[in-house]
Amino acid sequence: MRPGKMRGGIRFSHPLDGLSSPFEDLPTPSVVTVALQQDRSGVCALRVKKNDVVLAGQIIGESPRPNGASIHAPISGVVTELIKAFQDFHGRMVPAVVIESDGAANPCEIPADTDPLAAVQQAGVVCFDHKTDPLAAKLEEARSRKVGTLIVNALDGEPLLSSRARLLLEQAEAIAAGIDALKKILDLGRVILTVDANAAEAIAAATRAFSGAVQILPLRNRYPQAVDYLLVQRALNVEIPYSLGVRITDIGALLVDVEAMAAVGRGQPVVERFISVATGKGHVKNLRVAIGTPIRAVLEHCRITPEPGGKILAGGPMTGTALSGLDQPVTKEFAGVFVQGRSEVVKLEEAVCIKCGRCVEVCPMRLMPFLISGFSEKGRLAEAAQHDLFACIECGCCTYLCPVRIPMVQFIQFAKGQLMAQRKGV
Amino acid sequence: MKEPGFVVAVGPHIHSGNSVRDMMLHQIIALLPAVAAAFLVFGADTLRVAAIAMGSAVFWDAVLQKLFKRSLSIGDLSAAAGGLVLAMLLPATVPWWVVVLGTLVMLLLGKHVYGGLGCNPFNGVLIAYVALLLSYPGLVGDYPVPTSDMMMTQNSPLLELKDKGAEFLDETFPLQDLFLGSTLITGTIGEVSKLALLLGGLFLVLRRKISWIIPAGFLSGLAGFAAVFWLIDPETYASPLFHLLAGGSLLGAFFLATDWTTSPVTKTGMALFGLVCGVMTMAIRLWSQWPEGAYFAVFMVSMLTPFFDKLRPKVFGSKFGSHRQVQF
Ligand code: SF4
Ligand code: SF4
Repeated sequence: MRPGKMRGGIRFSHPLDGLSSPFEDLPTPSVVTVALQQDRSGVCALRVKKNDVVLAGQIIGESPRPNGASIHAPISGVVTELIKAFQDFHGRMVPAVVIESDGAANPCEIPADTDPLAAVQQAGVVCFDHKTDPLAAKLEEARSRKVGTLIVNALDGEPLLSSRARLLLEQAEAIAAGIDALKKILDLGRVILTVDANAAEAIAAATRAFSGAVQILPLRNRYPQAVDYLLVQRALNVEIPYSLGVRITDIGALLVDVEAMAAVGRGQPVVERFISVATGKGHVKNLRVAIGTPIRAVLEHCRITPEPGGKILAGGPMTGTALSGLDQPVTKEFAGVFVQGRSEVVKLEEAVCIKCGRCVEVCPMRLMPFLISGFSEKGRLAEAAQHDLFACIECGCCTYLCPVRIPMVQFIQFAKGQLMAQRKGV
Repeated sequence: MKEPGFVVAVGPHIHSGNSVRDMMLHQIIALLPAVAAAFLVFGADTLRVAAIAMGSAVFWDAVLQKLFKRSLSIGDLSAAAGGLVLAMLLPATVPWWVVVLGTLVMLLLGKHVYGGLGCNPFNGVLIAYVALLLSYPGLVGDYPVPTSDMMMTQNSPLLELKDKGAEFLDETFPLQDLFLGSTLITGTIGEVSKLALLLGGLFLVLRRKISWIIPAGFLSGLAGFAAVFWLIDPETYASPLFHLLAGGSLLGAFFLATDWTTSPVTKTGMALFGLVCGVMTMAIRLWSQWPEGAYFAVFMVSMLTPFFDKLRPKVFGSKFGSHRQVQF
């Protein structure tokens, strides 16, 4: 099977350092803080009261949408506090539940005779990518559009993250079970697994577990090919525009990552995430972490002492979100933690573009980043939109290569925000 | 408890380390073989011109930055690299004050009046070259006889071609000498050894400091155009290989046409830009009063860069329609 050609992007030299590092269990934290919005379906309705005793896997926040992902208690214990306005790492104010552990046990199973789609919904599975859509909603949509192709993605989203590849290696059976569950929901004619071509052991594990029912598509490491529409292009050779409201299901395909498939396959509520921890010096550990665990505990376990003036990122080094403090809890939206020391922090400045063309060469969406960012910087928003501002996926490749270090992604985000606000105001 | 301030900023949070300084350093290193070759042929005068050019360029850059109230940025080496490239276009015998005047023009008219690095529509080196050649054709356009006392001048290969036609070219200028450099052949400092230029150019391409597309377009445009005439009448016209190796073809293709600011940014634009530069070089060599066309060609074709920049690739997924009618 020949992959679609990718234009632009960056081949990083340290793509899969963490593949050989097994997931360690982070000891159950004594206190977790669970935000009640962890995906795009909105704020979940609170289902517990203060001082309630909860069991791991019990629903504590119910999704406002029928097929949304509910939020479960990650550990057993007592609800000690209900926070009305907790600032999550996106800066949103959301309610949160604080649970103090009583030291017990694994999450409850979802009964095996549950309808497969309902089971996915009850488990609160989301797509563990940068959009975190609830999986059940996506499956419902896919079913109504008669989707016949499933793409299961084991490519990690960013350099220094390796959790997807490692998960494929360790939990190929669970992933296979997840694919089987999806086959009961959708009429799948074709299943494609995209995996890093360098992850030989993971490919071997997948070959054993999937026994030929899945086409394995090894792709050479190239950031940001794991972003949804780019990946669909690699796997199916169809380019879907990023911002026109055309959806992947419109071409009869569905894209799901391996972590979501493993969660479906395990048949338990989602109460944990598999993350990679890395610093500016490279990969540190792969961890299995209960949702709600404060970043502080993660870093302590990894023996990382963050420096003032440094950066703590939720996600990877290219698109991660910088955290303001160590008390932020892990959510379903975390793929990793990346820690930078003070000296490693990159300073971007408002410099004059010298028109070297590096950004144009590297942009995977084939935009003119220097133009968009230049117009955005000067507040010429209409012109920025004319030059396809909204096709930008904010991957950061342009800024990464720019010799004068113009913070293009920042300008682009700003312009997008302004234009959206204008549009809403009308 | 207040955390000890972590930096909150938008990504990306890592950087490739690309910088203007890094590019300019690469350019200087890439020219060292050519400087060494010129040293062997023209002696210490080579180093004199190169040193004066680099030193005075940095000096003017600093002075002009003060004058225009810009922050001092001679550390980015752009002036030093520009000075060295300018030295490559001059004969080894050029008087020092011509060099100093040249670098002043380069930095004033090629950089600071337009607002600093990156705002100039023309390559400063070429502005300076053109200005000097028009003002002091004798000092800048005449080349010394290598190894002599440097008081006499001699015809460069392209001038010989212009004056005497293609008939005896092969005997006067064996291709091997043109390629390696030789004391029998004169020219500017940078035109001595094509091997040295090729090494430097390949170094820049392999380190991905310049795009391979522009030099490839340039050289194929030049060779293709030369080949047409040569095939029609090899008696009158010199061979494509001669044109590739004579004068400033390689210098222009690898070190002038690839200037970041004044060359196009898209691949299609670069390819066409290169091709047109090559063809234009040949047109000047064939039909103008000037023997050498590479530098003029780059200078003139860079006026078309805004046009070449319009040749953009189609945005990802644009088969489905334009991104401009976004629903959000
Ligand atoms: S951030 Fe946007 S403009 Fe920059 S390379 Fe990525 S898609 Fe292109
Ligand atoms: S990479 Fe930076 S300097 Fe180069 S063209 Fe793009 S914005 Fe301009």
